[in-house]
This record gives sequence, C-alpha cells and structure tokens, in this order.
Amino acid sequence: MTGAGDTLALPERILDHARRRPTAPALVWRGRTVDYAELAELALDASRYLGELAPGERRPVGILTRKSPSAIALILACMLARRAAFVPSPDLDSATLRRLFAQAGCSHVVSPGESFRDAAWEADVVPGSCPDARREAGLMLTTSGSTGPPKIVPLALDRLDRFAAWGGRAFAITHETAVLSYAPLNFDLCTLDIWTTLSHGGTVVLVGHDRATDARHLLDLLSAAHVHLVQGVPMLYRLLSDGARKYDRRVDSVRHVLVTGDSIAASALVGLTALFPNARFHNVYGCTETNDSFACEIDMGKVAAGGEIPIGEPLPGVSALIVATSGDLVDGPGEGELWVATPFQTVGYLDASLNDGKFGPHPKARDGQTYFRTGDIVRRHDDGAIALCGRTDSLVKVRGLRVSTQAVEQALLEHKAVVEVAVLAIPDALAGSRLHAVVRRAEESPLDSLVLRRHCVERLDRAAIPSTIDIVTRPLPKTPTGKVDRRRSVYDNSRRSAS
Amino acid sequence: MIDHTPAIKQFIVEEFLPDVPIEELDNDYNLLDGGVIDSLGLLQVIAWLEETFEVALDDAEIGPESFQSVHAIQAFIAQSQG
Repeated sequence: MTGAGDTLALPERILDHARRRPTAPALVWRGRTVDYAELAELALDASRYLGELAPGERRPVGILTRKSPSAIALILACMLARRAAFVPSPDLDSATLRRLFAQAGCSHVVSPGESFRDAAWEADVVPGSCPDARREAGLMLTTSGSTGPPKIVPLALDRLDRFAAWGGRAFAITHETAVLSYAPLNFDLCTLDIWTTLSHGGTVVLVGHDRATDARHLLDLLSAAHVHLVQGVPMLYRLLSDGARKYDRRVDSVRHVLVTGDSIAASALVGLTALFPNARFHNVYGCTETNDSFACEIDMGKVAAGGEIPIGEPLPGVSALIVATSGDLVDGPGEGELWVATPFQTVGYLDASLNDGKFGPHPKARDGQTYFRTGDIVRRHDDGAIALCGRTDSLVKVRGLRVSTQAVEQALLEHKAVVEVAVLAIPDALAGSRLHAVVRRAEESPLDSLVLRRHCVERLDRAAIPSTIDIVTRPLPKTPTGKVDRRRSVYDNSRRSAS
Repeated sequence: MIDHTPAIKQFIVEEFLPDVPIEELDNDYNLLDGGVIDSLGLLQVIAWLEETFEVALDDAEIGPESFQSVHAIQAFIAQSQG
C-alpha cells in the first residue's frame, strides 16, 4: 500500500496522496470537507502567491494567523518551495512578534485569510531581517515563553519526516484515520495532529480557535467526523469529560487518546473511559526542542485509584539520561534532571548563544549524540518507571529546604476536586520564600483549605505546604500556549481580593 | 475562667483558613498535623497571644504541642493567666 510514498519527503508525500486519492478527505473545517485534490490546489495557489510576492526569494516566510485550511496550505507551499515556515503565536504582543520575525530572517509576514480561494491575503515586508537568512526548510516554532522570552526552534523537514514515521507506527495513522487537531497552529502538537496525519493520507479534523472551549461543539465534531485519535493537554480532557457528563454523550470511534503537555491530574482523566469506551490512553512526553521522547499507555484502573502517571519508556531511537545535581548519572532508582536525544530534535535554538547549558554531549561518555537538558526533574522508581516530579527552575528555598513549586502543584492536582493550580514562591524576610497557591476547584465541590491542607500533609514535606492557599472557581489565566500563567494567577488574584 | 475559644477560632480561620466557615473548625482539630500551622504560623500565633491576652511567653516551657488545637491554645492561655 505504501511503497513509493516512503521515499518522498513529507510535503511531496502529501501531494502524492492527492494524486493517488484525490477525493479522500484531507481537512474537515467548519462543517465542510477539503479533499486532497483541493488541498493540493490551495497549496499551489499559495506557492504562486509567494512567487509573485518576491520572485526567487529563499528566506523563511513568517506566518501570522490562526488555524485554517489556507494557513495549512501556505505552510505546505513553504515546505514544497523548501523555505522555512516560521509560525509564532498570534497572541504575542506586536513588539515581540516584530523582533521574532526579524530574528527568524523572514522576508515577509503573510496572514492568509480564512476564505478558500484567492482571498484577501495580507503580506508585510519584515524590517531589520537578515537579507540572506536561508534556513533549513521545515517548521520554525517557538518555546512557550513561560520561563522567559520565546526562543525560536527550527525543526527541519527530515526531522519532521522521522517524527511522522514514528507517529504513524505508534498510533496506527493511515489514510483511513481521522485525527482531531485541537492545539493552535503554532504548537508543536501540530507535528502529529496535522503533519503526521497528512503525510499518511489521513483526515485532519480542525477545531477553530473560536470554538475551542465549546464542549458541546467538540463532542459533536468528534462524533460527526468519526475521529479516531485525539491529542491534547489535560485542559481539553477536563472540558470533554465535563461536557460528556452534562450532555450524556460518548464517542465510540476514538481509538487513541494522547495526553500531553503538562503534568496530569488524575481528576482530569476519570470521566474519560466512559466518554471513549473503545480507546487506549497514552501519556506522551516531549518538548518543542526534541519533539516527543517518551510515551506510555496509561493504566486507567490505577488512575481511578489516584496513582501516579509515569511518562514511560523512551521511544525507539531516543536516548535518555537522568543526571543528578552532582553531574553523576543516575543508573538505578533515583532523582535527577532528564536529558534526552531524539531522532526528531532541533539542531539548536536559532539564536545559537542560547544553546549553552541547554544542548550538549553526554556528560560521561562519548556517544556522538547531542542531548537536550529538559529542565524536568524525574524520578526513576524501583520498578524502572520514570515519573515527572518538577522543574529545575522551579526549585526555591523555604526555611532552608529546597522545594520544587512544581512538585507542590502536582501534589495539589492529585486531589480529585482540584482542576488547576498555580504555586508561586514569594520572597519572605523570615522564610527566604513562602509559597502561595491559587487553586481552582471543581464548581460542584465543597473543597476548602482545611481539607486541602490535610491532603498536602499526606504528600509533602512541611516546608512545601503553601503558607497561603486561595481557592477559586474561575479558570486561571493562561500563557499563549495554554499553560497556567503562575504570575498572573497569583497577581490577578491578590489584586482582586484587595479591591 | 473566660472561654476564649471563639476568639481563637476566629483568629485561626482569618489568618490561615480564610475560605473555611468558622463552625467547620473543630476545637480539637490538630492544626499542626493538619498542615494549618507551620513553624512560621506558630510565630504568628504566639505574637497574637502576647498582644491579645498579654501572656508572657517564656520560651523555656512551651513546645509546639501547646498550640496544636484550639483547645490546647485555650488551655495554654488559662494556664499562663492562671
């Protein structure tokens, strides 16, 4: 069945599907289907548009838009022309965007309209961009910016190809598979949702930005489009399981559910087996820099019992090390920072000065690989299972003890009624730092801080129990990539209670 | 003997459990084991006792267990004012 398509690079493989199965559905968007022939035509239109905009130009193309068939066709056109496509979050402020587009070396920023044919596309020349910035073809994404300014991460076509090959095998993505694309276009998750699916001739079911929090719409879409695979952050699953309960729904077509991008609260998953009775559940761990590096099937029985959800085993071809603060490797059970080298990883940040301390060789041996220091603290248990327990950059000192704010968040999330949480260390003259937690509880739950503190005592060192806990029911503010914005969560909340 | 437990409860709830209805806090609830009061919290409680009840806290005799519940604090005040 596959054969010739295997020797082609990703964008040509998509065109090959258009040639062989022109009427097969490629995209589902706002109630209509775009078949492979139409997607190819849209991509050729976009190629012509780029050619007329700047004949002979080889520099990257900046793409500033939300998800739509036109946007996907434009990225495909860039790939076909072997020009890098830089796709930052459209929610970044304009000064940051201007800086990033220039840094990426984009010749133009194109904002394709949502309409299908010959739309009112807009293009701007990027001032200050390097005149001969030719980057390797593929995607350029950015890091989330939750720990500093966003960094540009180039992902070359051959890396995307390898990733698509793995994704296809791991989750049985073929020309008969329909995959929900929930994440925004600038997320690394799109390398699976959109690009892996299209490279195998499957159908991408696109969720519009404006409908992303409408549970009923999402459930309708999953059923109507017979979606087989769903990938998303815990927030999506919380939304879906709450919606499924409210509207008494289930979706039989889904075979694989991928949870990714965050530490997982067991509470977000409990309703999922009822919603997706035929699905297998996977915890997938990765970073923008390396793409996915670990995956494991989630034991939903254990989840119901409140067990920890491990990140599992390194994927085929992935090397993973646990490095203790001493610099020694942790070979057996123990804790340390996770370093990974994957076949899908970036060659490094576009600004090479940022690579120091993030990318490097094996600390003890010469294995020829470049490892990415994830900044995630993991623990290997006696049975070999690896679980996330915090971030290197979330360590603070509370009364002389090192405490990971992320481990505190994780412990709070283990309470069934906790939906979201932000823990921030606040400088304190006496304690060094004291921890402040903002916790969003499930609306119907009577959870209060008395109960939550008792829950913490069972899981955390005394120093790690937050000094102050605010319990709220409204959603916490998010970063452009959908992670809880800790600073705004805490700051907005204190401003609210002061007023 | 004056019963200070309502005032103690109000202080504990306002300082450490602002979202908890006052009647939910049991007089015998172990505030230390329950993660309500930590070592910094203990300093706050002691400062409040000194200010409010003018008890002189000679740190020779007191351990954290003197403040482990509303009842314990009440007993402590009674003893100090004794």
